[in-house]
Amino acid sequence: MVDSKLRMNLMPTPPHGVELPKKPLATFRWVTTALAVALVWWSATGLDAKWSRLLEAPADMWTLGRVMFNSMEVSKIPELLSAMWESIAIAWLGTIIAAIFAVPLSFLAAENLVGKPVAWMTRQVFNLLRAIPEIILALAFIPIFGLRPMAGVLAIGVGSIGTLGKLFYEIIEGINKGPLEAADAVGASRLQRLRWGVLPQVTPEITSFLLYRFEVNIRASAVLGLVGAGGIGSDLAEALKFKDFGTAGLGLIIVVLGTICVDTISGAVRRRIVSGKKTMLDVDQEASLRVGPMSMGI
Amino acid sequence: MTTLDNGTNSTPAPTLPAKPAVSMFAIGTAIGAILLTIITAISVGFSLGEIISNFGRKNSVVEGLLNPDWGQIWSRRSRSAFIETLQLAVLGTATGATVALPLALWSTTFGNPNRALRTLVRSFNNVIRSIPDLLWALLFVTAVGIGALSGLLALFFFSIAVTTKLTSDTLDGIDMGPIEAANASGASLTQMLRSAVVPQILPSYTSFVLYNFELNLRASAVLGLVGAGGIGARIEFFRGRGDWEKLWGLVVMFFLVVFIVERISVTLRRRLI
Repeated sequence: MVDSKLRMNLMPTPPHGVELPKKPLATFRWVTTALAVALVWWSATGLDAKWSRLLEAPADMWTLGRVMFNSMEVSKIPELLSAMWESIAIAWLGTIIAAIFAVPLSFLAAENLVGKPVAWMTRQVFNLLRAIPEIILALAFIPIFGLRPMAGVLAIGVGSIGTLGKLFYEIIEGINKGPLEAADAVGASRLQRLRWGVLPQVTPEITSFLLYRFEVNIRASAVLGLVGAGGIGSDLAEALKFKDFGTAGLGLIIVVLGTICVDTISGAVRRRIVSGKKTMLDVDQEASLRVGPMSMGI
Repeated sequence: MTTLDNGTNSTPAPTLPAKPAVSMFAIGTAIGAILLTIITAISVGFSLGEIISNFGRKNSVVEGLLNPDWGQIWSRRSRSAFIETLQLAVLGTATGATVALPLALWSTTFGNPNRALRTLVRSFNNVIRSIPDLLWALLFVTAVGIGALSGLLALFFFSIAVTTKLTSDTLDGIDMGPIEAANASGASLTQMLRSAVVPQILPSYTSFVLYNFELNLRASAVLGLVGAGGIGARIEFFRGRGDWEKLWGLVVMFFLVVFIVERISVTLRRRLI
């Protein structure tokens, strides 16, 4: 109702004799909307969930929250903090390992540096790696490395190669051609071309995305422990399993605060890297700070 | 600068410009990163030799990966678990994204003029965002019980987090003109948002929802590991039995489907923007 009234208010009436152009028939939009509605309907009717429990869920959550807050013990804090640190360490090392593989591979995936077939093949490797969640990788690494943080580090490391590689080659493909041509003109070798024509242009953005991925990976490493791959997730899962709700609640608070804390620090460094000291190109680069949808790859 | 001046004058002495000094910030960041790497490596007990020796040994995980049991996905139980995963992802996305739109709108200065309320909405979004999907699932499994409902609730909150974040980033960059026009013509807050803001972000928002669906599909595969329904329960079952051939067969088939859905979604998204 609001809508039509407003439209009447906002739309000027056309002068007599002039016809407004007809609204284009949005077939594509209607078809996709109908399909989406059908899909949601199918899921809602088909999902075998105990719907009656849904009404009780808020009360249940409230009870859980209350029990958590009432039985917290301060003495558990140091232990949980060191577990959170382990999670952060896993995330950082994993990100570094992923970067070691992703940077060179992303050069092989950029169409402006290598041929199309090579780029296509490298991209398929990225797509494959991107599709597998870290938790599944952790499941595979645990029997190999045991229930230790190393399994988590490798899961995060292997799991991030795909996303980082994809982001990196997109950055590389967006570079300015000038320095490359200049390098060619003075007879640079392939390696020199990369070193002087490409690297200086992409380093700030790559570093910034690396930090961003580190932030994402902290969330991932916080849950890796649920399957036994080290970090604070192990403590949380254990506490919930043995109904030690106080510790679980404390752990939850530490996860939230720790994540927000690291996000803030890393975000500040990122902003400084990308916007720099307001030199040239800053308009262009600030746009890349606004992280696009693909980089939310969790 | 000096070389440029030389160039315009007739003095033909081409001197190279002085190399710019490396900024203190760059040095600081590099040193910080290296130190952090060393400290973290020590605290998790990282060793390269261990990686090499462990992978060199024969192990059932890798063997299972090398000859996976493809038929697994067609078995009745795996198939119904698979359909449940799909339904969870669809419902989680639909419900979460519906709530995310107002939350994103209310976290902006023009959508929520009240400063205290805005801070409240923003902190709410931040807290939701800092809890990972599987942790939501674990919480709901503990509070509500084992089953698909817990998985759905987990995906609901996870979707709110993702879509709200992406949408508010888009909202930061919209054209303020239509908003001013709507306000000037005396539109109420809801009318202004509906007619001046939503049409601007609708294509991006739809694309974020689709992207969120891809994420949810992947996430819903692991929800079952903590008992929140879907195909993860089957994965956990095979893992418990050490049946790596079947596990890998299931995982590979599932991600093949995810891959196809993702391609469709990417094509749709490209059309939208």
